[in-house]
This record gives sequence, structure tokens and C-alpha cells, in this order.
Amino acid sequence: MTLPDPLILFIVLAPGIAAAIAGLFQRFIGDRVAMLVTTITVGSAGILSLYQLFAYAFGGHHDAHHHFQHVIHLARWIDVGQFHADWAIRVDAMSIVMMAVITSVSGLVHLYSWGYMSEDPHKARFFSYLSLFTFMMLMLVTGDNLIQIFFGWEGVGLASYLLIGFWFHKDSANSASIKAFVTNRVGDFGLALGIMAAFFVFGTVELNPMLEAIKENTFEHVAPIVSFAEAATPRDASIDFLGYGVPVLELIGVLLFIGAMGKSAQFFLHVWLPDAMEGPTPVSALIHAATMVTAGVYLVCLLSPIYEYAPYASGFIALIGAVTALYAATVGMAQNDIKRVIAFSTCSQLGYMFFAAGVGAYQAAMFHLFTHAFFKALLFLGAGSVIHGMHHEQDMRRMGGVAKYMKITYAAMLIGTIAIIGLGIPHTKFGFAGFFSKDAIIETAFAAGISGVSFAQLAFWFGIIAALLTSFYSWRLIYMTFHGPMAESNHHDDAHEDDGHEDDHHAHGGKPHESPLVMLVPLILLSVGAVFAGYFFYDAFVGHHYEEFWSGAIYAAPENHVLHDKYDVAHGGINPGWVFWAPLVVTILGFLIATFTYLFNRGLGKRIADTGGPLHALFANKWYFDEIYQATFVRGTKVLGDFFWKVGDRKIIDGFGPDGLSGLAKWGASRLSAMHTGYLYHYAFVILGAAAVFGAVILINVAGAN
Amino acid sequence: MGDFALLSFMIFAPALGALLLLWVRKITASNATSVEEESRVAFLVGLVVSAATFVLSIIALAYFQPGAEGFQLVEDHSWFGGTLNEAGEVVGGIRYKMGVDGMSILLVLLTTFLTPLCFLASWGSVKHRVTEYVAAFLFLETLMLGVFCSLDLMLFYVFFEAGLIPMFIIIGIWGGAERVYASFKFFLYTLLGSLFMLLAVIAMYLQAGTSDIVELQTVIPQIFAVEDGKFGVQHLLWLAFFASFAVKLPMWPVHTWLPDAHVQAPTAGSVILAGVLLKMGGYGFLRFSLPMFPEASVYFQPMVFAMSVIAIVYASLVAFRQTDMKKLIAYSSVAHMGFVTLGIFSFTEIGIQGAIFQMISHGVISGALFLIVGVIYDRMHTREIKFYGGLVTKMPVYAAIFMLFTMANVGLPGTSGFVGEILTMAGSFQASTWAATGAALGVIFSAVYMLTLYRQTVFGVMTNEKLEGIKDINRTEAIVFAPLIIATIVLGVFPAIIFDITELSVAPIMAAVSGLIG
Repeated sequence: MTLPDPLILFIVLAPGIAAAIAGLFQRFIGDRVAMLVTTITVGSAGILSLYQLFAYAFGGHHDAHHHFQHVIHLARWIDVGQFHADWAIRVDAMSIVMMAVITSVSGLVHLYSWGYMSEDPHKARFFSYLSLFTFMMLMLVTGDNLIQIFFGWEGVGLASYLLIGFWFHKDSANSASIKAFVTNRVGDFGLALGIMAAFFVFGTVELNPMLEAIKENTFEHVAPIVSFAEAATPRDASIDFLGYGVPVLELIGVLLFIGAMGKSAQFFLHVWLPDAMEGPTPVSALIHAATMVTAGVYLVCLLSPIYEYAPYASGFIALIGAVTALYAATVGMAQNDIKRVIAFSTCSQLGYMFFAAGVGAYQAAMFHLFTHAFFKALLFLGAGSVIHGMHHEQDMRRMGGVAKYMKITYAAMLIGTIAIIGLGIPHTKFGFAGFFSKDAIIETAFAAGISGVSFAQLAFWFGIIAALLTSFYSWRLIYMTFHGPMAESNHHDDAHEDDGHEDDHHAHGGKPHESPLVMLVPLILLSVGAVFAGYFFYDAFVGHHYEEFWSGAIYAAPENHVLHDKYDVAHGGINPGWVFWAPLVVTILGFLIATFTYLFNRGLGKRIADTGGPLHALFANKWYFDEIYQATFVRGTKVLGDFFWKVGDRKIIDGFGPDGLSGLAKWGASRLSAMHTGYLYHYAFVILGAAAVFGAVILINVAGAN
Repeated sequence: MGDFALLSFMIFAPALGALLLLWVRKITASNATSVEEESRVAFLVGLVVSAATFVLSIIALAYFQPGAEGFQLVEDHSWFGGTLNEAGEVVGGIRYKMGVDGMSILLVLLTTFLTPLCFLASWGSVKHRVTEYVAAFLFLETLMLGVFCSLDLMLFYVFFEAGLIPMFIIIGIWGGAERVYASFKFFLYTLLGSLFMLLAVIAMYLQAGTSDIVELQTVIPQIFAVEDGKFGVQHLLWLAFFASFAVKLPMWPVHTWLPDAHVQAPTAGSVILAGVLLKMGGYGFLRFSLPMFPEASVYFQPMVFAMSVIAIVYASLVAFRQTDMKKLIAYSSVAHMGFVTLGIFSFTEIGIQGAIFQMISHGVISGALFLIVGVIYDRMHTREIKFYGGLVTKMPVYAAIFMLFTMANVGLPGTSGFVGEILTMAGSFQASTWAATGAALGVIFSAVYMLTLYRQTVFGVMTNEKLEGIKDINRTEAIVFAPLIIATIVLGVFPAIIFDITELSVAPIMAAVSGLIG
């Protein structure tokens, strides 16, 4: 079941306290103590949370039809009228899964950073931010109201901003951190409006009464202003939004999803994620792969009752998710920065999760979130190990043949790659983590397509194509980095650098070296997760025991059978047999193409890139999103700001207002002002006199009254 | 409490201190005291007097009962006019009546909280005519406290208008190079608004025969009742009051005095201007416009909403393009006060409570931001954003404080900035989804201008060699910032301490307007 309350409090709050200690007292305790405090705290929280997950998943069955949850109220927060939001920790299946993912990956990332950041002068600050992030993320997933979720939501945004811009002397890092924060704010604009709409409709921002009201179709708490008279049932009610009558659940669903799009880097709001790679690599692994970017998926799954009765909003989610899955995969094929490849891969995998949620398979989305956290963190930390070993080289064109210098890192990266491409044998339990979760998504999408769920068929096909591309770019990364000869330019550059720099750092003569043990241990542990996470938890998350496992934390409308339907006809489902083999076929195809292009014909990939062609340029330039946004939104904001300032304020308001008036009497005014400055302080005596009169009057009256 | 006039004592304590200071200066003028010595004494007196006033306001808060309705700590004496009743007491007329409810006691506390910090912050930076400087601030404090405590309309008007004078002096004497233009503009705008209000005040007094605010809140809506929603005298009175409050707040498009006034004002002047003086506008709406002219308030709601949303979006965009740090913060103030009017005119409990909270919160945050600009202005004597960059390497503590208030200003949850914004927006959403959507846009833009400012001043590489020797904040500055930091976080995490106090003062305001909407 759940842990005792004090331990739950420890898991959630201790990282926050550790962050405060490391951040505020770093001058007194020094780097090493700050690192120890944060790492031990988050590491223990990780062990406790993993224990809780195993105990919950395998320690007895839960009531499938009654929402299992345990809420610890901490303190009053905002409490005005009906607007009631407490500080609270809500433990149910959803938060148990998230707590395990967050704290375990975070603990390993803390440990890994001992090695990766060993030469950084601001270690205490770094570890403080990491723990702060962990705390905020935990507050997000344990909130029992939308406001605390928003607190965590913006809090992780802050931590992300601080960590992307961690190397504050780098201009590119500063730009990237602002871009991340502002793009997320665009999403939060939707999220905030969604919360307001939810409060307007339900008269509460607390999850339990709100979600119960939707499930029961009785909006007991609804604001009296909303008229449900003409609606058949409360769920069908509409409100006026910007002049349009919009069904309430569709409106709330879409607005909240806009928030999710920002945080989870979905199509249109994805532009910040690749730039976020400016942050140190452990940050990319923790925040921009395993945890924060999945917050949007978590939110949609948490609010499943809303989306179950909002078909258009769900269709929108499925569409955006499918497009993102495919879009990011196309871009990922043409990137040369090792971290950017993985960043786009993350973006693409998040697309899978969203279209799963969009077609009603929230459990599959959460399952992929869970497995993805392990293998994506593994890939990032592996890439970090390569970058560390290559002395901060990130361009794959300048790598090659690294495998022979970094055997453990190579093995870990191979495991991560096999996990992400989802290798496994259909109808058996032989496969890596990604096999279980990604195939579950693809199968449910097809089944939903048969049932006529909007955009489910599109999602299935996009998912299949993206799986092909995923396999291709993942193997391309392996081959470009680890195989073949080391790029000539790299030797040359390192030799050149050695002439210029005398520090120890370059004393290896530019040869890559394996990372220290403190970095390899997290890789090994994550490899275990990347191999077994799917195998162990398949039954609980999406298999035969899913209803007992989720125990009401995820809601499916009575007509939503998508998780049963995903089986083939022989096993009580509706899917044809080929659906189960399609992912494996395209995955092998992608592997073969990549092997042919980047292993056997090394240089072919480069020739394709050089000859270019519009398609390659489109992919390499991320479909020109940055350029388009720069030319429209960024420029537009500047032009409008200047216009309002220089024309609106100065010419129109001031021109006709005070300056116009004063222009009339300019001469007089300047004379008057000149006179004033000499005698102004005599005004003080006017006040003094006034005060004296006051006093006298009061005295007289008081005296008179007695 | 007995008959002890606690509020009067608190209100006039600063003015008495100022008189004492001027008198002492006068009798010691013949002795050859150095300028430094004189400044030290003046600041010390200012600090002690304002700290004592703060203590008095805390005592007032201690006597204040949040669970009781109506005004408390009331002092009531006849002043001009009125008639004798059978008991031989003077009733009606213009009275010296003081008292506080939950809303005003918080604004009183904000005033008494910020004033001592102003003296601490000016200690090193203001060097000429210090005695007059301190005296001006102390007089200003008395007038501000008078505004929030007056329960007589005439008395309120006197305090409200007299407050102009010390501020005008502070900008005009201790201001920057363009101080004459700025103080002139400030004076022109506010005076124009005030003239209309004076006419309205006289009209109301003549009709009602009393200027007691509590009585006016019940009789004015009846005397100037609106027939069949027709535009009438009530609407004109509303507009007259609105002219004055809108300028004070300031609302778009009568906001252009604010950036100039802020840029020219000394740091402490900006702190008081943004921290307290702007709040008089919001206070005025809640004390007069809504309870006394409820139909007109509802009638003009769309106009106020439009002006608020324009203020939020327009001022945020303009702030983004500023090259002067203080101007940027000033425009940011205009945007943030847009949330106040939005919340007030949503006529919902959460909107109004949120607006009061936003006023308190903005007082703390904008005050802190002006002090943050002041810190580097004192060192480098320029507010040009371009001049700075890379400060974090030399001023890590300063950078951390600046980051905290940057985040508070963009409304990060956990800071006080968030609570006011989310409540005012949620309140306005119930009245108009357009207004809420427009206001939510401001949430994006505030991040744009604040983070850009932070990046350009604090982050990056220090390229300006003039900054090489810049020092991190000193102990005095740290003492100034500490209470502001605590206030921002405590109010952000436990805002209930405010709402518990304001709850019962919002109820009668809601009662006045709630019957008229929907």
C-alpha cells in the first residue's frame, strides 16, 4: 500500500529542505556538504519511492472500482470564498508511479553529477537547483487541487530556467533559458485559463469534488451563474467563451492541454526543448527527458474524467501527439548534435504518450512515461558520458570509434537504444522496456481506430512511421558516435587546443576516456530499468491487472474498452494479427537502413546531407519553426511595444495630454517651475500649519465635548 | 481601548516627528554642525519615528478584531457644521472621524512597513537637504495614513490631496535631471482628476447633509438612485471619482505621468509612490465607487475592464522595450495595477479579495524592485540597462535577491505575486472571459520583460570595465531587503493571514453590488 505518513512527507518535502540548505548556506557548508546533503536526501527518497511502488503494485490487490487514495493535508493556502486550495500530499496510483520515477531518476542524476560537474566552480548551486526541481516536481504530482499543481508546474519551470541558464556567461544558454520559460508561459496562459474555467464551472479547484462531479454527471458544486437548463445533462452544458458557446468540458480540456503542450514540448510549443540542451547534460536527462516534460502527460491522464467526456479535446490531443511524434522524428534524423538528437527523440516519444492519452489509453500513456523515463535518462546520461569523455564535444560528426575507449558507456547506450526502438518479440514477454509500452500504445491506437475514435487511425500510422524513423536515428547516433574511425578534425582540433591550454583537462592528448565510476553506476542501474521496467510492470499498468493497479486513479468512461480491445481477436480483442508485427518490422527496417548508411557506407550519410535537397534542409532546420516565430511573434512583440511606447504614449497620450497643455503655456510653466524650486520646501510649512489647525480643532472639540 | 485616540496618535506621530526635527534643526542651526552630522541625526530621527509608527500600527492591528464587522478603533468628533441634538451633541456636518476595517488596516500596515525601509535605503544615497527630506517623508506618511483611516469624506479629500504636495516636493527637489518636467506632469494629471472629485464631494455633502463615509454608503445610493438603468447623476458622480482614482492608480490612458515620476524620483520616493500612493486609487474604488455608486459601477464595468486589459497588455509590451530600468519597473506597475481594477470590477468575492491582496503584494514587490534598481544606481549612477551585464559574478547575493523579486513580479506561485493575479483573473473570468483572457496574456509578457531585464543586467559576461569594482550589497541594504523577502514569501505561502483580515470588509462591498449583476 502506501508508506507511513512521515516517510511520505520525507519523500516530498526533504528535497525542498535539502535544496534550501545547499542554496542558502553554501558559503558556510561548502560544496561537498551541499552535494552530500542533496544526494543522500534525494537518493533515500528514491529508494523509499521505489519500495512504495513495488509494494503497491505487487503487495495485494486494490479495489478496481473505488478510487484508492490517501491525502495528507499540510496547511491552508488560498482560501477565499469557494476558492479553496490547501497544501496537501495526495498519494494514489498516479502519484506513486510519478514519485518513483522522479526520485529514482533524480537520485541517480545527483550521483552522476558528482562526476560530470566535478570541474564546475558552482557545484553547490547546481545541486541546490537539482533538489529544488525534484521538490517542485513532487509537489506537482502530489497536489490535490489544480492550484498546487500549478505551483509545482511553474516551480519546475523555474528550476528548468535556472538550470538551462546554469552557465550564465554563455549567451546561448541565457537565450535558451528565457525561451524555455516564455514558451512554457504561453502554455501556462492556457493552463491558467483552464483552471479559471474549471473553477467557474465546478466552483472548486480541488480535484476530488471536480472529478467526482464529472463521473457522476451531477455538478453539485457548479457556480450558480452557469445555466444548465437547456443542457440534457451537466456534462453537455456550454458556457460563453469569447463570444462562442463552448461545451464546458471541451473548453476546460483544450485549455488545460495547451498548458500540457508547453511543458511537454508538443508541436507548436516544442521550440524550447532543443535549445534547452544548453543546460548541463544531467539536467537534460532529469528535467528535459525523464520527468518535467512528462508533466503534461501526467496532467492529461490525471484529468481523464474530463477528457473521457470531451471527445473534441481528446481528438485534438491525439492529433497534436501524432503530429509531434512524426515531426520530431523527422527532425531527429537530420541533427548532428548528439544531445539534440536525443532531445527530438524525447519530443517524439512524448507525442506517442499524448496520442495514447488522446485515444483513451491513459494507462498506456503512463506506462510509456514510466519506461521512457529510464531509457531516455540512460541515453542522455550515456551521451553525457561521451561528451565528458570527449572533453565537451557534442557534434557527432567529430566523433566516431568511441566504443573502444568507453566500453561501459557503449554497452549502456546500446541497451538504451534497443529499449527506445522497442525491440521485442510480439506475443511473448521477451523484449526491452520500450517494446512493452510503445507497442501497447500502437496497439491501442489501432483498436481505437477500429472503434472510430477521432484521429486514432492517423495516430497509428504516424506512430508506425515514427517508429521506423526512431530506429533509424537511434542507430545513426550509435554508429556516428561509437563506430568507425574517429573523425580527423577532432584529432586536429584537440592537438591545436593542447597548444593553447596548459590545464590538466587536456593532458590526455585528446583521446576519449571512460567516465569515472560515479557516472557509470547510474548508467548501469538505469540499464536495469531500461531492460526490465516493461517486463515487470506490463501486467500492472496495461495488462490483466490494470484496473486493480490504477484503482480509480485513471477513469475510463463505460464505453471506453480500448485497453481490452488492443488484444487480437483470439484473445478477446479486436486487432488483426499484423498490427502486432508492424512495429517490429519497421524497427528492423530502420535499423537496416541506418546500418547500411552509417556503418557499412560511412560517409554516405554525410554525402546525403551535403547534397542537401529541400527535404534534408527542412528537417535539419527543424521545419524553420524558429525562423517563423522569430519573424512573427518576437518581431511583432518588439514592433508593438515600440509603437505603443513611442506613438501611443509619447505622441498621442502625452501629445494631446500634458505636453499639449503645457505647450500652450510652455513659457509660463517653465518660469513657474523655476520659481518653485527655490521656495518649494515652504510647502512643508503649509502642511505644518494645516496640521496645527487640525490639532487645535480636535482639542477644542474634545474639550467641548467633555 | 477606552477613549485613547490610538489611530490619531499613529497618524500624526510622523508629522510630530517632522516638526520636532525641523525645530531641532532650527535651534541648532547657529551651532556649526557638519552636514554629515546633521544628515545622520535626521535619518536617525526619521527611522526612530517611523519605526515607532510601525509599532503603533502593530498595536492597532492587535486591537483589531478580524471577526467583527464594520469599522473599529473609531474616533468621532464634530468638526465643521452639523446640528445639536437633544443630548447637546453635534451630529452631522463635517466630522473628524477615523476608523479602520480589514482593508484599511492592511494598507496602514503596508505604509508603516515601507516608510522605515525608505529611510534606511536613503541613508547613504541622499546627501543634500537631508532634514527637509526626512521631514517630507514623515509628513507624507501622516497624510497617507490619514487617507486610509479617514471615515469622513471631506477629511479623506484633504488627506488625499495634501499627499500630492510632499510627493511633488520629493520629486522636485531630490529628483533627477528632468525632475521639473516630471513633477509638473505628475501635478497636472493628479490635480485634474482631483478637481472633478472635489465637485462631486461637495455635491454629495450638500445633498446628504453629512460627509460621514459610513452614512454616505447607505444614503448616497438612495439619494442618487438610478431609475430604470438610465444615465443619471450617480453616473456623473462615479465618473468624477473615477477621474481621480484612475489617475492615481494609474489606469491606461492616464498613466504617462508614472514612468516620468518614477524615473526622476529618488529611490525611496519611487518605493512610496509605487508601494502606497498608487494603492489610494484602488482603495478609493473599494471605499467609494462600489458602495456609493453601485449601479454606475456595474454600468461602467465594461469600460473599466477594457481599460484594465489594455493597461496589462499595453504596459507590458512597452515595458519590454524600455532601456531605463526604472521606466521598465514603472510600466510593469501599470500592468500589475490593471489586475487590481480587473479584480475590483469583477464584483466577485475572489476578485475583490484578490485585488486587495494584489495591492499589498504589489506594494512589497514593486518597492523591492525599485530598491533593487537603487542599489546599483547608488554605485554606478546610471539606470541604463545597457550599462550593466554580468553582475552575478561580482554581486551574487544581489543577483539572488533580484531573481527572487523577478519571479515574484512575474507571479510565480509560492510568491505573493501569484495569489493576487490568479484570484483577480479567476474573478474576472466569471464576469468576462475576454477580460480574463486578455489579462492572462499579461502573464506571458511579464515573463518576457522581467527575464530580459534580468539577463541583460545580471547574467552574461561583464564587459563594462567600469563595473569591475562593483560591490555586493552591504549590511544596511541587506537589512532593507530582508523584511521584503520574508513578506513576499510568507504572503505567497500563507496568504490566508491577509484574507482572514479582509474577509469581513469585502462582504458589505459585495452586498452593495451583488444584487445588481447577473
